[in-house]
Amino acid sequence: MKKFRNSLIIMLTMLLVLSACSSPATPPTDDPAGQTSDVKLVVWDQFYREEESKVIDTLNAEFEAAHPGVTIERDSKVLDDLQMTVKLALGESDGPDVAQVNQGRSDMGALVEAGLLLPLDDYIEQFGWSNVFSTSVASRNSFTPDGKTFGQGSLYGVSPTAEVVGVFFNKGIFEANGWSVPTTFEDFEALLAEIKAAGITPISFGTLDGWNAIHEFSSIQHLLVSPDYINNFTYGVNNASFNTEENQKAAETLLNWAKAGYFSEGYPGIGYDDSNNLFKAGQGAMTITGSWLAPELMTGTDQEFGFFLLPGYSGKATMAIGGVGIPFAIRKSTEYPDLAAEYLDWMISPRAAELWAEAGMVPAMSLPADSKVDTDNLFGDTLLAWNTLNKENAVGHYIDWATPTIYDTLVSELQKMLGGLSTPADFTAAVEVDYAKFLQEK
Amino acid sequence: MKTANHRYPGESKFKGWLYLLPAFLIYFFFTFIPILETFRSSFYDWNGFSAERTFIGIQNYVDLFSDPLFLKAISNNLVFIIFYSIIPILIGLFLSAILTGTDLPGFSFFRTVFFLPQVISMVVVGVLWRWMFNPVSGPINQVLSLVGLDSWRQAWLGSFEFALPAVGSIGSWVQYGFCMVLFLAGIQRIPTEQYEAAELDGANALNRFIYITVPGLRAEIGVAMITTMISALRVFDLIYATTKGGPGETTLVTGFLIYRSAILNNRIGYGATIATVLTVIILLLSFLIRRFMGNSEEAST
Repeated sequence: MKKFRNSLIIMLTMLLVLSACSSPATPPTDDPAGQTSDVKLVVWDQFYREEESKVIDTLNAEFEAAHPGVTIERDSKVLDDLQMTVKLALGESDGPDVAQVNQGRSDMGALVEAGLLLPLDDYIEQFGWSNVFSTSVASRNSFTPDGKTFGQGSLYGVSPTAEVVGVFFNKGIFEANGWSVPTTFEDFEALLAEIKAAGITPISFGTLDGWNAIHEFSSIQHLLVSPDYINNFTYGVNNASFNTEENQKAAETLLNWAKAGYFSEGYPGIGYDDSNNLFKAGQGAMTITGSWLAPELMTGTDQEFGFFLLPGYSGKATMAIGGVGIPFAIRKSTEYPDLAAEYLDWMISPRAAELWAEAGMVPAMSLPADSKVDTDNLFGDTLLAWNTLNKENAVGHYIDWATPTIYDTLVSELQKMLGGLSTPADFTAAVEVDYAKFLQEK
Repeated sequence: MKTANHRYPGESKFKGWLYLLPAFLIYFFFTFIPILETFRSSFYDWNGFSAERTFIGIQNYVDLFSDPLFLKAISNNLVFIIFYSIIPILIGLFLSAILTGTDLPGFSFFRTVFFLPQVISMVVVGVLWRWMFNPVSGPINQVLSLVGLDSWRQAWLGSFEFALPAVGSIGSWVQYGFCMVLFLAGIQRIPTEQYEAAELDGANALNRFIYITVPGLRAEIGVAMITTMISALRVFDLIYATTKGGPGETTLVTGFLIYRSAILNNRIGYGATIATVLTVIILLLSFLIRRFMGNSEEAST
């Protein structure tokens, strides 16, 4: 019996411990905001990869050094985990003061609608942010206060990094075969045929994870449509429709590439990382994805890679999918809004730009003039591509931001079309059903 | 049953219940309350984090039964029952029948190996098989090429024809060891006299299996049926780690649809509705199996 009693005590103790875990932590100190005596700023980010994490650690340490009495409590999570927990945490009185909140309706839009994010409009002037990023960039982090209209209204976040979707190519394979970077889309398609004829996989690609199929399709789409269309479609204004001739043509081009065998063998069964690994190992002349892959391709391989933007149809301007990375936002109920805003300003400072560039990531801010970062490499290619697009105002959008369900619809319908179960016309019609339903219910 | 009421002098009846308390408290707070909360949420339109939630009655249920995705997911779950329950039970019966009574060297080693998939986390299993099925570097396609069956090479997990059977067979691989161990234990309990008598009467091995082993294992088959079927209906992690429901909706299952609706699309109310319906379906099927298998406890004594 004694044994049983002991185990009962152990179990009850465990219960107590469990319940203690779920009770709220000690409340934050009652210091008024602005006072810098022992203030703890809680920051949640998703820069968990080693190189990225070092950048944030450095910036945090320098911020603490410049603000005596302030400590930053950093919690970095994988994006999936962050997305799942941050919405609940931002509603808590002891939630993160600053957190990275994904763009788009399901995340930032829903949080704005629930009144959990602080509008940053007052700080734009105070910190001179209009010199740091363009209005086109700001609109990606903007919503009307009811959270319903995307791309207008108040600013709710600032993004430290930028991304652009383009073509990575294997320099060794290109040189060995005497191929050069194509300058028109027609040249690009001719090159695909030539690479295929040489017995090499033209584009390393896999649709098992789904989302990169959207990038593949939308990269071609961006060459056919106007910047206005992409803006209207993404922000859900001016009665944009998905069921257009241009979108059908883009889908058809993608399908033709698949039929011509331009993608990796068995591409429907290959995941995104697997496809990148094949490319990195030299199995494939090109791959179409975002500039975020550059740091990965610059280490741990004996192959040398370059990057170019998918060229426009002859006589037509180039536009590419791109944007700024996941922004930092401030919890509306934070006790230290001004300090949090200062932190945001530090995250998009020239110093931050320099550190991101050193880590091989394209910063959303321009690099300081005296920057010593080496740009004679793959990183330089991606930086050049971003700067070119920015200058020509040709930064497109991730079309899966358009509605909360369109990501699932696009992935599923693209897989069906590529699998031969539907036609390009069926594809655009099916996506339009999702999109029209959203516009109607909005 | 006689000894159940026996108590030491002075020992209260109440004390017995006390031993159940810790488990009950954990169950009550971490399982029962969330179930009730899920049921309540299914009558609301709620995104999961804003302060206000709108009561909409049974609208979620109305929407659910006209949602083609839900019907597709449920029908995929039913296919999964074949792979999770029926095939593993058949393999388990076969293996336990041929393993019983033989003095195979390393018997316990093989028993452990066959059971091993059951104790590996499903996500690990998923990652492992994703590699196995990889069209370029995976061993399955490579072996096919090696034996000259190049035309059989497939984009397994990305193929509209093969994705569902491919993911399903992972389930069979995970479950059959569990069934086998359950049946091996059960066979020990069947009196050997029955086999000897049957053998004297001229029954061959197959007949002995059909007329003695299978009926003798009725209780175990019932247990295996219920546990594997529940796994088949609530499968989520395996799909998440392999196909994410694709290609198209080929491998979309109810568990994944709940995650997609509640977490990705901010529709907690609708996700809760699917979860509630799934719970009812699982309860109903478990009840039916128990009825068909008879009262398992009595059959086993």
